[in-house]
Amino acid sequence: MTLTTMLTTMGAGMLRTIGIFFLTLIGSLPLGMVIMFGRKSKNRVLSAIVKGFISIIRGTPLMLQLLVWYFGPYYLFGWSIKGYRYPAILIGFIVNYACYFAEIYRGGIEAMDRGQYEAAEILGYSKSQTFFLIILPQVIKTILPSITNEVITLVKDTSLAFTLAYQEVFSLAKQISASETSFTPFVVAGIFYFVANYVVAYVMDRIEKSMSFYS
Amino acid sequence: MKRFIALLLVVSMLVSLTACGGAAASSEKRVFKHGFDLDYPPYSYINEDGSMGGFDVELAQAVCEHLGWEYQAVPFNWDAKDAELNAGSCDCIWSGFTMNGREDDYAWSKAYSDNTQMIMVKKDSGIETLADLAGKTVGVQTATSAYDLLNDEEGQAELCKTFAGLEVYETYTIAFNDLKAGAIDAIAIDVTSGQYLMSGSEDYKFLDEMLGSEQYGIGFRKDDTELRDTINKALDDLVADGTYAKIGEKYPEIKDFLCLGK
Repeated sequence: MTLTTMLTTMGAGMLRTIGIFFLTLIGSLPLGMVIMFGRKSKNRVLSAIVKGFISIIRGTPLMLQLLVWYFGPYYLFGWSIKGYRYPAILIGFIVNYACYFAEIYRGGIEAMDRGQYEAAEILGYSKSQTFFLIILPQVIKTILPSITNEVITLVKDTSLAFTLAYQEVFSLAKQISASETSFTPFVVAGIFYFVANYVVAYVMDRIEKSMSFYS
Repeated sequence: MKRFIALLLVVSMLVSLTACGGAAASSEKRVFKHGFDLDYPPYSYINEDGSMGGFDVELAQAVCEHLGWEYQAVPFNWDAKDAELNAGSCDCIWSGFTMNGREDDYAWSKAYSDNTQMIMVKKDSGIETLADLAGKTVGVQTATSAYDLLNDEEGQAELCKTFAGLEVYETYTIAFNDLKAGAIDAIAIDVTSGQYLMSGSEDYKFLDEMLGSEQYGIGFRKDDTELRDTINKALDDLVADGTYAKIGEKYPEIKDFLCLGK
């Protein structure tokens, strides 16, 4: 197999990997917010349920969660899971990452000084105005480095999609390596991940700089 | 005279030293590092009691016992098998390892087991022939001989093109779950692995037409022909004293495919 063939074959896998990456981010960043509100809810029951859920998601391997999301409907309810593979992968990734994001958001919000809320109240801001106009922008600035960490981990975690027979770039690397008895596909995959994460780090760095409104 | 005594002492010391060295070498057994995938029943898997077992593991242990060597299991990730072998972390790849198509990549032992690739379906699926697979979704494990066969232009690539899709799995266990759940219609698999998966269930069957056939051997580093010859000789001995057949008896999925000494 020539390097060109190898790159085109693996290119298809790279696109799938990038697909999972973006869809997971688009789904989990907002969902994390929702979960965080549940976690911080004044309703004790809701808060406890969400806390338990987060602890399960964070306490078990993502690979296992993917298997449960995919095969769960069949084994629990006997439903047909034909064509459900890709949705199951996305649900697994989005829910998993949303829980991590929720805890990062919570950390950021709880780090905000009480004085901010008091000042906003005196200035006549409503509760939602206070949150979205005053608290949230500062929270985002604080938590960006932690978010970058998670996003970089996500790039590498996408290889777990192969658990459910989804041919992303790393599974292709393994297959080509096995059939060609060559290590090159792994090097190609390694470069791909590194470049992808370099771009992520670069973009996040730019966002951080654009938000450095104090300096 | 003094000099002569000194020389005598030195010589005797040297002799005793080499004697010690020789004795140490013979009491220290040669270690045989058996490299295999622990996720490939019935050739290698984790027993109910948590120990490592399977036909390949037992046969390798018998070979070591026969040669007076110490057996060391090196379970590896199947995708990293060549790196493991070349790095010397194992002496061989002995794990239901297909020789066909890899003839030039390793120093091969004699073939010790035949194997065929079959299509496994649900009994009530209505699929009876390979032609019935047109428009169906078929599952296969990555980097297996069935996978290679379906991608080989000289193999079954033509047949593969008639499928609605080929799902490539990391392990057959997940593929089998998908077959059970109805997410795929068939699995392309080695007959031995397939029999192992469907053992204890009446709901599955193989199609009568087979996909292809091949042999399993032990792959050594290309320059390691000496070890290869030693193992070949030991395997011959085990065939002669009946150990090979005796181990085979324990594995109903394999025993009809043993091909050494035939």
